[in-house]
Amino acid sequence: MSGDESKKANTRWVVMTGLLWVVATVLGELAVAAIEWHPFGASREARITDDAFDLLMVLSVPVISFVLVMGGVALVRGRGGVIDEDGPPVRSHRLFIGGWVVLTSALAVLVIITPGFSGLDELRAEPVPDLVIDVHAERWNWVYTYPESGRETQGELVLPVDQRIMFRISSTDVIHSFWIPAFRIKQDAVPGQITTTMVTPEALGEFDNADELRVQCAELCGVGHARMWTGVRVVTEAEFEEWLAGAGG
Amino acid sequence: MNILRGLVGGALGYVVGAGLMMAIRSSAGGRAWEVESVTAGAWLFALSGWLLGVGVWRYWARGWFGRDVAPYTATGGRRYLDFDTDHKVIGIQYLVTFLGMFFMAGLFAMLMRWELMGNGEDIVGPDQYNSIMSLHGTMMVFVAVAATVGAFGNYVVPIMIGADDMAFPKLNAMSYWLVPPVLIALTASFLAGGYDTGWTGYAPLSVQSDVGGLFFNLAFFTLGLSSIVGAINIVVTVVTMRAEGMTWTRMPIFVWSIFVTAILSFIFTQFIGLAMLMVVLDRTAGTIFFDPAAGGSPLLYQHVFWFYSHPAVYIMILPAFGITLELVSTFTRKPLFGYKWAVGALLGIMSLSAVVWAHHMFTSGMAEALRKPFLASTELISIPTGLIFLCALGTLWLGKIRFEVPMLFALGVLFNFLIGGITGVFLADVPVDIQLQDTYFVVAHFHYVILGGGIFGLFGATYYWFPKMTGRSMSDRLGKVHFWWMMIGFNATFLPMFILGMQGMNRRVADYSPDLESANFAVSMGGFFLGTSFVIFLFNFIWSWARGPAAPADPWGSLTLEWQIPSPPPHENFTSPPLVLSDPYGYGDPDSVHADLARDGAKTVVEK
Repeated sequence: MSGDESKKANTRWVVMTGLLWVVATVLGELAVAAIEWHPFGASREARITDDAFDLLMVLSVPVISFVLVMGGVALVRGRGGVIDEDGPPVRSHRLFIGGWVVLTSALAVLVIITPGFSGLDELRAEPVPDLVIDVHAERWNWVYTYPESGRETQGELVLPVDQRIMFRISSTDVIHSFWIPAFRIKQDAVPGQITTTMVTPEALGEFDNADELRVQCAELCGVGHARMWTGVRVVTEAEFEEWLAGAGG
Repeated sequence: MNILRGLVGGALGYVVGAGLMMAIRSSAGGRAWEVESVTAGAWLFALSGWLLGVGVWRYWARGWFGRDVAPYTATGGRRYLDFDTDHKVIGIQYLVTFLGMFFMAGLFAMLMRWELMGNGEDIVGPDQYNSIMSLHGTMMVFVAVAATVGAFGNYVVPIMIGADDMAFPKLNAMSYWLVPPVLIALTASFLAGGYDTGWTGYAPLSVQSDVGGLFFNLAFFTLGLSSIVGAINIVVTVVTMRAEGMTWTRMPIFVWSIFVTAILSFIFTQFIGLAMLMVVLDRTAGTIFFDPAAGGSPLLYQHVFWFYSHPAVYIMILPAFGITLELVSTFTRKPLFGYKWAVGALLGIMSLSAVVWAHHMFTSGMAEALRKPFLASTELISIPTGLIFLCALGTLWLGKIRFEVPMLFALGVLFNFLIGGITGVFLADVPVDIQLQDTYFVVAHFHYVILGGGIFGLFGATYYWFPKMTGRSMSDRLGKVHFWWMMIGFNATFLPMFILGMQGMNRRVADYSPDLESANFAVSMGGFFLGTSFVIFLFNFIWSWARGPAAPADPWGSLTLEWQIPSPPPHENFTSPPLVLSDPYGYGDPDSVHADLARDGAKTVVEK
């Protein structure tokens, strides 16, 4: 092949790789959109977190498909190499390297800004709670106290829907972690420290219908760690007041 | 024989140390014997006794007192059981020892997957499960930080830079002989009933764990000593022992990756020693570093632990990056694309790795204000990591590709790390991490990075350098079967774990909710499939070493220096110090010569 022809052939491969990349990206995005990634979500925080995950997914598809398509094309095109035949001594390509550095840097900065910082800011908005609940972890039990009424429960966490709730979390023995999968919140319970996290439940439900509605210990705490969980029940505000008063009085 | 001397020395050291500890305890008014505090103190004496007995005294320390050191007489296979200072012997000692540990820890993984195959308690109780899980994690971390650096950092790096040995050969032998006490401590831990803290050993749980936990602390501490000693040696070797003409920009990228890894290891391993020491002191000496009731802080442990343990992730993966780029260049018969960008990437990862540790602690209760900085620094690390892919893809493009077994593993590293790296971007995002932290999503992520990246790299390196190390060839067909078996098994095991984590399965549990049973069953089947793939490797490895056909000096057509000398290389590697003329990536350039090995003035043509 003359230099011109090989240049032309090379251009054809580059164009074909680009087209394949576009096709793979479109197919990938469609697949990602078609799959339901998230388990049952029932809070404002779940929306923020799931949105962040979805955005990262959308951004990942072109990256993954680029690496796979370019690598795959190179492997198919270059297959059948033999030990005494060298490839061309290409050591650099200004456009490819420059484009790569600029694009990957921009992408990294983008994910820092959104969904990174923007998601955190959203989580931190609305810092004033309507209701405070004390959560105490001890091997291998969760104890919930409602300071307003003095009510203390174990075995089930009862919450009002659409209220801003702050959990004040404590532990006396080892580190535990207060995790409610349906709410996408998790906060370690650290001996000697009160940690807090906030949630706004947005859907009614209970563990019997959706096992994501549970408080699960998420930090290894010894032999009972796997079984250290209780159900969560989200009720209307009226039901909640009734529950609180009925039990408290 | 020297191992026996070492054991006697270790036992004597323990007795002396224990006596001293008991004297101290009595003088302080306590009960003389208490297994933990006595053992913790005596461990340092036992270590010293072991080292002196195993060879430090005979071959080294006698000279400090003006006495003649013993002549070194071991030959043949016995050298591998002796205090040998040849970097090639030490490399093989590391490789065999840590492959052994890898298979042992793999058996623990099989037990874990057996237990998790069905809902409920099947073969072990939660207590035993925690111990098995902790030992699996600890041993695999040890393998991942030490196997590649110890085996190939020792064996290949000095030859690649044209040196006759490491800068400090005796120190090098010492760093290896610090490993058997690690194995003894792990065995002691196992026999004492193990420990239930995972490899992370978070305080205060670890302070309260049984005596098995103490042996975990001592094992990690001792491995840390070995790593630091080995790392100093590698740094000094690369800085001072390069052959004439081996400038920084002519160094093979694998040497760069090991060099950068050794710097990380040298700087950061002290923190894990510190974390372990503080736990040991809290357990035995009444200090209160992590006891909140007395003013200590459990979060302090996590900071000190992750000071080391995040950079350690790069100690595990950077050598695999180096191997991958080396192999991609060799098996495309093209120069490494963007060499300087690859070096920059390694240095960039090294620098950033120091400032990302707290991304393991987003839900730990640390100050809210720390979340954004650590989110940002962590996401930024994707830029240098991406450059590794840039260089790999640029080299593959237009390459004349030979799908030899090492190349398959290099491509495996790229595929697996792509998934491991991208999911790392998800976990660095704080809102997403809050949900996924401590779930199987994290388990899947780090197995993609460490097993799919680091350990695939280790196997690629093993297949690649086996002919050089043993003078024999491994079976190509069995190697290919092993690769595809392992690759499919690996992805079948760990890809579904992402889904399990998203569906709410938390890590480090012997039991889970019933609706996750079918996915767990599938993961276990994948795990058993993956586990059996290593039977093929073991057979190939052992059989080829004993009976394999003789390997030529340069079976792959590589240009780096180790392939220009016989397989296996002679004692001091080169007959005369090589003169390096250009980098080792002169593919496609007939005039390029990496080095003149004969030093007769005329440039010798490097065999291809």
